[in-house]
Amino acid sequence: MPLVRLVAGFVIWSAGFVVLYAVQALGCAYGWGDWHRPVLIGLYLLALAPLSWLAIPARAGAEEGPLHFAALWANRAALLAAVLIFMPVTFASLCV
Amino acid sequence: MSQTPSPIGLHKQLDAIWRTPPGLARLSSVNHTILGKRFMALALLFFAIGGLLSMLIRAQLATPNSAFLGPDIYNQIFTMHGTVMMFLFAIPMFEGFAIYMLPKLLGARDLAFPRLTAYGFWCYLFGGSILIIAMLAGVAPNGGWFMYTPLSSKPYTPGINADVWLLGITFVEISAVTAAIELFVTILKMRAPGMALTRMPLFAWYMLVTAGMMIIGFPPLILGSILLEMERAFHLPFFDPTRGGDPLLWQHLFWLFGHPEVYIIFLPAAGALSTIIPVFAQRPILGYRAIIAAIVAMAFLSFGLWVHHMFTVGIPHLALAFFSAASALVAIPTAVQIFAWIGTLASGKPRWDIPMLYVFGFFAVFVCGGLTGVMLAMVPFNTQAHDSYFVVAHLHYVLVGGFVFPMLAAIYYWLPHISGRQSLYRLSIPAFWLILIGFNLTFFLMHLTGLMGMPRRISTYPSNWGWDWLNLLSSVGGFILTMGFALVLADMVLQFRFGARFRRDPWQAGTLEWATATPPPSYNFAAIPHMDTRADQLRPARIGPTLAGGDGYLGFARNGEQETLAVDMMSGDAEQLIVLPRRSYLPLWTAMATASFFLALLFKLYWLAPFGALATLVLFLCWPIGLGSKSDRGPIDIGRGLAVPPDVEAPDNVTVLANRTALVMNGTLFASLLFGGLFLLVVAPNWQGSSAPTLPLWAGALAVVASLSAAGASAMAARRPGSVLPLRAGLVAAIALQVLALTLLALSMGALGDPTGHARQAVPFVTLGYAALHCGLGAIMAAHALWRHAQGYVSARRRTELVLARLWNGYAGGVVVLALGLVALLGLNGVAP
Repeated sequence: MPLVRLVAGFVIWSAGFVVLYAVQALGCAYGWGDWHRPVLIGLYLLALAPLSWLAIPARAGAEEGPLHFAALWANRAALLAAVLIFMPVTFASLCV
Repeated sequence: MSQTPSPIGLHKQLDAIWRTPPGLARLSSVNHTILGKRFMALALLFFAIGGLLSMLIRAQLATPNSAFLGPDIYNQIFTMHGTVMMFLFAIPMFEGFAIYMLPKLLGARDLAFPRLTAYGFWCYLFGGSILIIAMLAGVAPNGGWFMYTPLSSKPYTPGINADVWLLGITFVEISAVTAAIELFVTILKMRAPGMALTRMPLFAWYMLVTAGMMIIGFPPLILGSILLEMERAFHLPFFDPTRGGDPLLWQHLFWLFGHPEVYIIFLPAAGALSTIIPVFAQRPILGYRAIIAAIVAMAFLSFGLWVHHMFTVGIPHLALAFFSAASALVAIPTAVQIFAWIGTLASGKPRWDIPMLYVFGFFAVFVCGGLTGVMLAMVPFNTQAHDSYFVVAHLHYVLVGGFVFPMLAAIYYWLPHISGRQSLYRLSIPAFWLILIGFNLTFFLMHLTGLMGMPRRISTYPSNWGWDWLNLLSSVGGFILTMGFALVLADMVLQFRFGARFRRDPWQAGTLEWATATPPPSYNFAAIPHMDTRADQLRPARIGPTLAGGDGYLGFARNGEQETLAVDMMSGDAEQLIVLPRRSYLPLWTAMATASFFLALLFKLYWLAPFGALATLVLFLCWPIGLGSKSDRGPIDIGRGLAVPPDVEAPDNVTVLANRTALVMNGTLFASLLFGGLFLLVVAPNWQGSSAPTLPLWAGALAVVASLSAAGASAMAARRPGSVLPLRAGLVAAIALQVLALTLLALSMGALGDPTGHARQAVPFVTLGYAALHCGLGAIMAAHALWRHAQGYVSARRRTELVLARLWNGYAGGVVVLALGLVALLGLNGVAP
């Protein structure tokens, strides 16, 4: 379980990355027009939700140890990576 | 066992079991120490070849309008330089190092699958030889080490040059794939008892993450190579835009592998640094937990950067921004490690020795490479510097700084472990300065030539563009660098010949490998230690003699069997007794059969290739003969008052974990294929008006039902291992159903339409072929389980074969569903306008 927690944040980050990149390409290919950016922003926020949850320290009394500490910081890094890397969906030109 | 022998007596007993005899019997070796050394020696030979090629490049570019090498030869030389250094030197070098070192560092007697190690080595040797022989014959690859289409496609490279790359590298990559699975499983399952994951030395963490990256990173390249070879050999259009393909698909598949590859090479080197620096700083590493988090972050982020190699191909700003941000951000986890190392040195009592010189060289060179990496992550700068010598300078600063300097530190640190002798030091220091000065003279100036507009890969240049002196000095630097490497080689030879012998642990290190005798015995440890503390803060000189006396787990020789232990992945509690297979010629024969397959394809003897594949398969099926147990043994004494079951009686043994890992890798390849199909559907030109693939609906639906039913039947057999009739009925049903599914899929492939006409037919053709192949594999795994059951190797406790049949048949069922889903999608009229 601690191993899963260690990679959980970045697995979600990877999934978000793939989905956003795919939706960006699909929206351009099939001409989604005005809907394209809201869909991307919605997915962006959707990806941030579980990452924010993972970035919160475990409840008091929960198992602690070196791996939990590493997992917590890996998950916080994943949240930061998602916030920064996915942010261009809010402003960058989508298909040009 | 009742009477404890003397340490020497125990050594003789264990060595008789584990050793590889001299003479031709060496070819049958499966021992990780021997194979690790072979990997490293061969990698160094290829490094020398790659270095020789670089000297030819620098000789050609030393002066303008040079006629030293013609453009045709030059193209082969620079392509082979990159190919040899990346695929035949860097990857196998760290693989060999990990193969040699990891069991010793973790307290195991060998890797999880010794014969797979040997098979991987032979594939590496044979595949690498194909490339070198092709070069000597003048038909080496000549399209650059990343083989961009359409340059490497048949119309523009009609000879076998590109085929040599595609087939030779794929053959070599078998060794990377097998090593990745083996290292992953070994780190998770074969540590000394008590070594919880959080007690592992950092090098093992680095290698665990590296192996994970290889499992995900290599399949896209292998798939790309298969698709391009199919296009070249059988005219299936995947990269030909006139027939619905897209050259950008190759770039995506290549760099999906290619960029993580840089980190795959760097992380083992960083692991070596994290081991060496604390020893010379004379204090434990700073930020153990932060480094683990940083490695994980780096590994994942490195998979989100691949498009920064493609910034100039014309993709939308949003996509550029994704990859630019990720490329810049990966510097942060890298910096966490750099600061942890600097902090360790700053807060310790550093002592200087030869390995530390190279650590210093690493800091200087790699940080420069990292900074130019951040520059190249910025789209506007990248657009300016793309394909110029600035990029050549950057990549050499990163790869030489991030791999070669740490490798040289590691050589000076660990070579005494291999040789049993210490360095003489007389040549070591001048060698270091020649390398450092030569390297910077060669490559720093390339930043300038690049910024002055010199494109990479040109065979010559006119004399009036201001590049003359910079190129000449680069060439002088290159030759100084080579002299430095020659001195290192001489130093290594002298160490083996004249170095002073020593007892254990010459560096006062804290890791377990120094607890073995040096050179290490064939079995590593006469007894396996129990770990009560973190395994990078040990006292090997004190532990070593205790273990040599047999004080620990398995401190005896029993039944002439090669015994080692498996542990719980997280806690490190002793869990299983593993009996490893003895030495065998089977890996060599199997690799030769595999070579016949690749050579048949290379020489276009397509009728022969299936026989090579069949011979490989048959030989693989011979591997389990004689392995396993025909009776349930129950818990077996392992010393220190503990008894554990043999691994064949444990549900989660290394074989099951390895197969799960192999399926993840296989799944990544399949996911890459699905991505390729969808990419072409959405992005590729010339899909408007193309005819949709015609799939007989009944055949597809029946294939899904048959394959899923086979998965269910094999799962039923695995659930009833003790009942003979349901078990056999389930397996027979799985075989019959998978054969039916295979037949139906083959019929569907025939009905699709001409696969050479358009990618819209070619993608379904290959996807269904992949599904059919896995139905066949599912049937073979079920038949194998049936055969092993008939021979008495399977029981209610010993059910590994049944679990494997369930896994592979389940995978095949899933693949058939997804493959037919993709075909259906491509059949719809949803082609992007």
